[in-house]
Amino acid sequence: MPSSTIVRALGLATLALFFLGAFTPLPTLLYEMITVPVHIERADAIVVLAGGGVLASGQLTDTSLRRTVRGIALYRDGMAPLLVLSGGAGRRSEGAARAVLAGKCGVPDTAILATSAGHTTHEEVATLQPLLRARGVRRLILVTDGTHMRRAMGLARDAGFDVLAAPVSEVETPTHPEPRLRLLRAALREGLALVYYHIAGYL
Amino acid sequence: MTPYVAVALTSLVAYVFAVKRLGWQPSDLGRALGRMAESLGAGVIFAVVNVLAAASLVLGLRMLTNRFFSLYSLDDLVWLALSMLQGWAWGLWRDSKAAPLR
Repeated sequence: MPSSTIVRALGLATLALFFLGAFTPLPTLLYEMITVPVHIERADAIVVLAGGGVLASGQLTDTSLRRTVRGIALYRDGMAPLLVLSGGAGRRSEGAARAVLAGKCGVPDTAILATSAGHTTHEEVATLQPLLRARGVRRLILVTDGTHMRRAMGLARDAGFDVLAAPVSEVETPTHPEPRLRLLRAALREGLALVYYHIAGYL
Repeated sequence: MTPYVAVALTSLVAYVFAVKRLGWQPSDLGRALGRMAESLGAGVIFAVVNVLAAASLVLGLRMLTNRFFSLYSLDDLVWLALSMLQGWAWGLWRDSKAAPLR
Protein backbone atom coordinates (compact mmCIF):
# COMPACT_ATOMS: atom_id res chain seq x y z
CA MET A 1 0.00 0.00 0.00
CA PRO A 2 1.42 3.48 -0.88
CA SER A 3 2.55 5.83 1.90
CA SER A 4 -0.13 7.09 4.26
CA THR A 5 0.18 10.69 2.98
CA ILE A 6 -0.68 9.63 -0.55
CA VAL A 7 -3.50 7.39 0.66
CA ARG A 8 -4.88 10.21 2.80
CA ALA A 9 -4.67 12.66 -0.14
CA LEU A 10 -6.51 10.14 -2.28
CA GLY A 11 -9.21 9.85 0.38
CA LEU A 12 -9.55 13.63 0.63
CA ALA A 13 -9.75 13.91 -3.17
CA THR A 14 -12.50 11.28 -3.18
CA LEU A 15 -14.39 13.17 -0.48
CA ALA A 16 -14.02 16.38 -2.48
CA LEU A 17 -15.34 14.64 -5.61
CA PHE A 18 -18.28 13.29 -3.62
CA PHE A 19 -19.24 16.71 -2.26
CA LEU A 20 -18.68 18.44 -5.60
CA GLY A 21 -20.75 15.75 -7.30
CA ALA A 22 -23.59 15.89 -4.81
CA PHE A 23 -23.85 19.60 -4.13
CA THR A 24 -22.57 21.45 -7.21
CA PRO A 25 -23.41 21.40 -10.95
CA LEU A 26 -20.19 19.44 -11.69
CA PRO A 27 -22.09 16.32 -12.94
CA THR A 28 -24.11 18.46 -15.35
CA LEU A 29 -20.91 20.06 -16.69
CA LEU A 30 -19.33 16.62 -17.17
CA TYR A 31 -22.51 15.37 -18.84
CA GLU A 32 -22.51 18.32 -21.22
CA MET A 33 -18.87 17.56 -22.09
CA ILE A 34 -19.64 13.94 -22.87
CA THR A 35 -22.99 14.22 -24.65
CA VAL A 36 -23.79 15.51 -28.13
CA PRO A 37 -26.35 18.29 -28.67
CA VAL A 38 -29.66 17.41 -30.29
CA HIS A 39 -29.53 17.80 -34.06
CA ILE A 40 -32.53 16.40 -35.88
CA GLU A 41 -33.34 16.76 -39.57
CA ARG A 42 -35.05 14.49 -42.06
CA ALA A 43 -33.09 11.30 -42.65
CA ASP A 44 -33.33 7.87 -44.29
CA ALA A 45 -33.82 5.99 -41.01
CA ILE A 46 -34.27 6.37 -37.29
CA VAL A 47 -31.99 3.91 -35.50
CA VAL A 48 -32.87 3.13 -31.88
CA LEU A 49 -29.97 1.38 -30.18
CA ALA A 50 -30.45 -1.46 -27.70
CA GLY A 51 -30.95 -0.43 -24.11
CA GLY A 52 -30.84 -3.14 -21.50
CA GLY A 53 -33.06 -5.71 -23.14
CA VAL A 54 -36.26 -7.25 -21.91
CA LEU A 55 -37.26 -8.13 -18.36
CA ALA A 56 -38.32 -11.66 -17.38
CA SER A 57 -41.92 -10.42 -17.53
CA GLY A 58 -41.44 -9.59 -21.22
CA GLN A 59 -41.53 -5.84 -20.63
CA LEU A 60 -38.85 -3.53 -21.95
CA THR A 61 -36.43 -2.06 -19.40
CA ASP A 62 -36.89 1.62 -18.56
CA THR A 63 -33.91 2.60 -20.68
CA SER A 64 -35.11 0.56 -23.64
CA LEU A 65 -38.64 1.92 -23.33
CA ARG A 66 -37.43 5.53 -23.16
CA ARG A 67 -35.35 5.13 -26.31
CA THR A 68 -38.12 3.27 -28.16
CA VAL A 69 -40.72 5.93 -27.38
CA ARG A 70 -38.35 8.62 -28.65
CA GLY A 71 -37.84 6.67 -31.88
CA ILE A 72 -41.57 6.18 -32.36
CA ALA A 73 -42.22 9.88 -31.75
CA LEU A 74 -39.59 10.82 -34.35
CA TYR A 75 -41.15 8.42 -36.85
CA ARG A 76 -44.61 9.82 -36.23
CA ASP A 77 -43.21 13.33 -36.73
CA GLY A 78 -42.21 12.18 -40.22
CA MET A 79 -38.46 12.46 -39.67
CA ALA A 80 -37.67 9.25 -41.58
CA PRO A 81 -39.53 6.48 -43.44
CA LEU A 82 -37.78 3.62 -41.62
CA LEU A 83 -37.68 2.86 -37.88
CA VAL A 84 -34.85 0.50 -36.94
CA LEU A 85 -35.36 -1.11 -33.53
CA SER A 86 -32.19 -2.80 -32.46
CA GLY A 87 -31.96 -5.21 -29.55
CA GLY A 88 -29.29 -7.03 -27.67
CA ALA A 89 -28.79 -10.70 -28.39
CA GLY A 90 -30.43 -12.95 -25.85
CA ARG A 91 -33.22 -15.40 -25.21
CA ARG A 92 -35.90 -12.73 -25.33
CA SER A 93 -35.73 -10.37 -28.28
CA GLU A 94 -35.66 -6.72 -27.34
CA GLY A 95 -36.02 -5.75 -31.00
CA ALA A 96 -39.19 -7.82 -31.37
CA ALA A 97 -40.70 -6.42 -28.14
CA ARG A 98 -39.95 -2.91 -29.37
CA ALA A 99 -41.54 -3.68 -32.74
CA VAL A 100 -44.75 -4.81 -31.00
CA LEU A 101 -44.86 -1.52 -29.09
CA ALA A 102 -44.19 0.51 -32.23
CA GLY A 103 -46.97 -1.35 -34.04
CA LYS A 104 -49.40 -0.57 -31.22
CA CYS A 105 -48.38 3.08 -31.51
CA GLY A 106 -49.36 3.16 -35.17
CA VAL A 107 -46.06 2.52 -36.95
CA PRO A 108 -46.79 0.22 -39.94
CA ASP A 109 -44.95 -3.14 -40.04
CA THR A 110 -43.43 -2.23 -43.39
CA ALA A 111 -41.67 0.75 -41.78
CA ILE A 112 -40.13 -1.28 -38.94
CA LEU A 113 -36.84 -3.15 -39.05
CA ALA A 114 -36.34 -5.11 -35.81
CA THR A 115 -32.98 -6.78 -35.23
CA SER A 116 -30.90 -8.59 -32.65
CA ALA A 117 -27.62 -6.89 -33.19
CA GLY A 118 -24.95 -8.18 -30.83
CA HIS A 119 -23.92 -7.64 -27.25
CA THR A 120 -21.97 -4.41 -27.38
CA THR A 121 -22.36 -1.06 -29.14
CA HIS A 122 -19.45 -2.00 -31.38
CA GLU A 123 -21.07 -5.29 -32.39
CA GLU A 124 -24.43 -3.60 -32.76
CA VAL A 125 -23.21 -1.00 -35.25
CA ALA A 126 -21.19 -3.63 -37.14
CA THR A 127 -24.32 -5.80 -37.46
CA LEU A 128 -26.58 -2.91 -38.45
CA GLN A 129 -24.24 -1.52 -41.14
CA PRO A 130 -24.96 -4.06 -43.93
CA LEU A 131 -28.67 -4.16 -43.07
CA LEU A 132 -28.95 -0.40 -43.40
CA ARG A 133 -26.75 -0.24 -46.49
CA ALA A 134 -28.98 -2.86 -48.16
CA ARG A 135 -31.92 -0.49 -47.64
CA GLY A 136 -30.05 2.46 -49.07
CA VAL A 137 -29.68 4.26 -45.77
CA ARG A 138 -26.97 6.92 -45.81
CA ARG A 139 -28.26 9.43 -43.31
CA LEU A 140 -29.69 8.31 -39.99
CA ILE A 141 -31.05 9.72 -36.77
CA LEU A 142 -29.43 7.90 -33.87
CA VAL A 143 -31.46 7.44 -30.69
CA THR A 144 -29.65 6.49 -27.49
CA ASP A 145 -28.94 7.89 -24.04
CA GLY A 146 -27.16 11.23 -23.87
CA THR A 147 -24.11 9.77 -22.16
CA HIS A 148 -23.86 6.97 -24.75
CA MET A 149 -24.32 9.19 -27.82
CA ARG A 150 -20.72 10.31 -28.43
CA ARG A 151 -19.41 6.72 -28.53
CA ALA A 152 -22.31 5.39 -30.60
CA MET A 153 -22.12 8.31 -33.03
CA GLY A 154 -18.38 7.79 -33.51
CA LEU A 155 -18.95 4.14 -34.41
CA ALA A 156 -21.82 4.96 -36.80
CA ARG A 157 -19.77 7.66 -38.53
CA ASP A 158 -16.82 5.28 -38.87
CA ALA A 159 -19.27 2.83 -40.47
CA GLY A 160 -19.86 5.43 -43.17
CA PHE A 161 -23.16 7.01 -42.15
CA ASP A 162 -24.13 10.64 -41.89
CA VAL A 163 -25.37 10.70 -38.29
CA LEU A 164 -27.80 13.04 -36.57
CA ALA A 165 -28.15 12.92 -32.78
CA ALA A 166 -31.40 12.43 -30.90
CA PRO A 167 -30.15 11.84 -27.36
CA VAL A 168 -32.50 10.66 -24.65
CA SER A 169 -31.82 11.87 -21.13
CA GLU A 170 -32.73 10.08 -17.93
CA VAL A 171 -32.50 13.29 -15.93
CA GLU A 172 -32.47 16.87 -17.14
CA THR A 173 -30.17 19.11 -15.11
CA PRO A 174 -30.58 17.40 -11.72
CA THR A 175 -31.07 19.68 -8.75
CA HIS A 176 -30.84 17.12 -5.92
CA PRO A 177 -27.77 15.30 -4.62
CA GLU A 178 -28.79 11.72 -5.48
CA PRO A 179 -29.71 12.36 -9.15
CA ARG A 180 -26.54 14.45 -9.45
CA LEU A 181 -24.44 11.54 -8.19
CA ARG A 182 -26.25 9.17 -10.58
CA LEU A 183 -25.41 11.49 -13.47
CA LEU A 184 -21.79 11.76 -12.27
CA ARG A 185 -21.58 7.96 -12.14
CA ALA A 186 -23.03 7.65 -15.66
CA ALA A 187 -20.62 10.27 -17.02
CA LEU A 188 -17.60 8.61 -15.37
CA ARG A 189 -18.68 5.16 -16.57
CA GLU A 190 -19.07 6.42 -20.14
CA GLY A 191 -15.71 8.20 -19.89
CA LEU A 192 -14.12 4.83 -19.07
CA ALA A 193 -16.03 3.19 -21.93
CA LEU A 194 -14.73 5.84 -24.35
CA VAL A 195 -11.16 5.20 -23.16
CA TYR A 196 -11.69 1.44 -23.58
CA TYR A 197 -13.09 1.88 -27.11
CA HIS A 198 -10.10 4.03 -28.09
CA ILE A 199 -7.62 1.51 -26.62
CA ALA A 200 -9.42 -1.37 -28.35
CA GLY A 201 -9.24 0.55 -31.65
CA TYR A 202 -13.01 0.71 -32.13
CA LEU A 203 -12.95 4.52 -32.36
CA MET B 1 -32.23 19.68 1.61
CA THR B 2 -33.86 18.74 4.94
CA PRO B 3 -31.85 15.51 5.48
CA TYR B 4 -28.59 17.40 4.93
CA VAL B 5 -29.52 20.07 7.43
CA ALA B 6 -30.28 17.23 9.86
CA VAL B 7 -26.84 15.71 9.23
CA ALA B 8 -25.21 19.07 9.94
CA LEU B 9 -27.24 19.49 13.14
CA THR B 10 -26.54 15.98 14.48
CA SER B 11 -22.84 16.47 13.71
CA LEU B 12 -22.88 19.66 15.76
CA VAL B 13 -24.79 18.01 18.61
CA ALA B 14 -22.42 15.01 18.57
CA TYR B 15 -19.41 17.34 18.67
CA VAL B 16 -20.76 19.28 21.65
CA PHE B 17 -21.73 16.03 23.45
CA ALA B 18 -18.29 14.50 22.87
CA VAL B 19 -16.43 17.57 24.10
CA LYS B 20 -18.68 18.56 27.03
CA ARG B 21 -19.89 15.20 28.32
CA LEU B 22 -17.29 12.68 27.22
CA GLY B 23 -14.30 14.97 27.60
CA TRP B 24 -12.88 14.20 24.17
CA GLN B 25 -10.25 16.63 22.84
CA PRO B 26 -11.30 18.81 19.87
CA SER B 27 -7.72 18.58 18.58
CA ASP B 28 -8.15 14.78 18.20
CA LEU B 29 -11.00 15.31 15.74
CA GLY B 30 -8.65 16.48 12.98
CA ARG B 31 -6.53 13.36 13.48
CA ALA B 32 -9.64 11.17 13.38
CA LEU B 33 -10.78 12.79 10.14
CA GLY B 34 -7.31 12.21 8.72
CA ARG B 35 -7.60 8.50 9.60
CA MET B 36 -11.04 8.40 8.00
CA ALA B 37 -9.57 9.92 4.82
CA GLU B 38 -6.83 7.27 4.90
CA SER B 39 -9.39 4.47 5.16
CA LEU B 40 -11.31 6.02 2.28
CA GLY B 41 -8.14 6.35 0.22
CA ALA B 42 -7.28 2.70 0.89
CA GLY B 43 -10.83 1.81 -0.18
CA VAL B 44 -10.35 3.71 -3.44
CA ILE B 45 -7.12 1.81 -4.12
CA PHE B 46 -8.94 -1.47 -3.48
CA ALA B 47 -11.77 -0.28 -5.76
CA VAL B 48 -9.38 0.49 -8.64
CA VAL B 49 -7.57 -2.84 -8.23
CA ASN B 50 -10.89 -4.68 -7.96
CA VAL B 51 -12.33 -3.08 -11.09
CA LEU B 52 -9.16 -3.75 -13.10
CA ALA B 53 -9.11 -7.37 -11.92
CA ALA B 54 -12.80 -7.85 -12.68
CA ALA B 55 -12.49 -6.26 -16.13
CA SER B 56 -9.50 -8.47 -16.92
CA LEU B 57 -11.51 -11.48 -15.78
CA VAL B 58 -14.48 -10.52 -17.98
CA LEU B 59 -12.31 -9.90 -21.05
CA GLY B 60 -10.27 -13.04 -20.35
CA LEU B 61 -13.40 -15.18 -20.06
CA ARG B 62 -14.69 -13.73 -23.34
CA MET B 63 -11.50 -14.75 -25.11
CA LEU B 64 -11.09 -18.13 -23.45
CA THR B 65 -14.67 -19.36 -23.64
CA ASN B 66 -15.90 -17.53 -26.78
CA ARG B 67 -19.00 -16.62 -24.78
CA PHE B 68 -20.15 -13.11 -24.03
CA PHE B 69 -19.56 -11.68 -20.55
CA SER B 70 -20.67 -8.09 -20.14
CA LEU B 71 -18.48 -5.32 -18.76
CA TYR B 72 -21.73 -3.78 -17.55
CA SER B 73 -21.64 -6.39 -14.76
CA LEU B 74 -19.04 -4.06 -13.20
CA ASP B 75 -21.63 -1.30 -13.07
CA ASP B 76 -22.71 -2.21 -9.56
CA LEU B 77 -22.38 -0.24 -6.33
CA VAL B 78 -22.02 -3.30 -4.10
CA TRP B 79 -18.42 -3.99 -5.13
CA LEU B 80 -17.67 -0.34 -4.39
CA ALA B 81 -19.08 -0.71 -0.87
CA LEU B 82 -17.08 -3.93 -0.42
CA SER B 83 -13.93 -2.14 -1.59
CA MET B 84 -14.52 0.55 1.02
CA LEU B 85 -14.91 -2.16 3.68
CA GLN B 86 -11.63 -3.68 2.49
CA GLY B 87 -9.97 -0.28 2.91
CA TRP B 88 -11.49 0.19 6.35
CA ALA B 89 -10.38 -3.28 7.51
CA TRP B 90 -6.91 -2.60 6.09
CA GLY B 91 -6.65 0.64 8.10
CA LEU B 92 -7.84 -1.02 11.32
CA TRP B 93 -5.40 -3.87 10.82
CA ARG B 94 -2.53 -1.45 10.31
CA ASP B 95 -3.57 0.55 13.40
CA SER B 96 -3.72 -2.63 15.49
CA LYS B 97 0.03 -3.01 15.01
CA ALA B 98 0.60 0.25 16.93
CA ALA B 99 -2.13 -0.28 19.54
CA PRO B 100 -3.57 -3.82 19.71
CA LEU B 101 -7.34 -3.93 19.27
CA ARG B 102 -9.38 -4.73 22.38
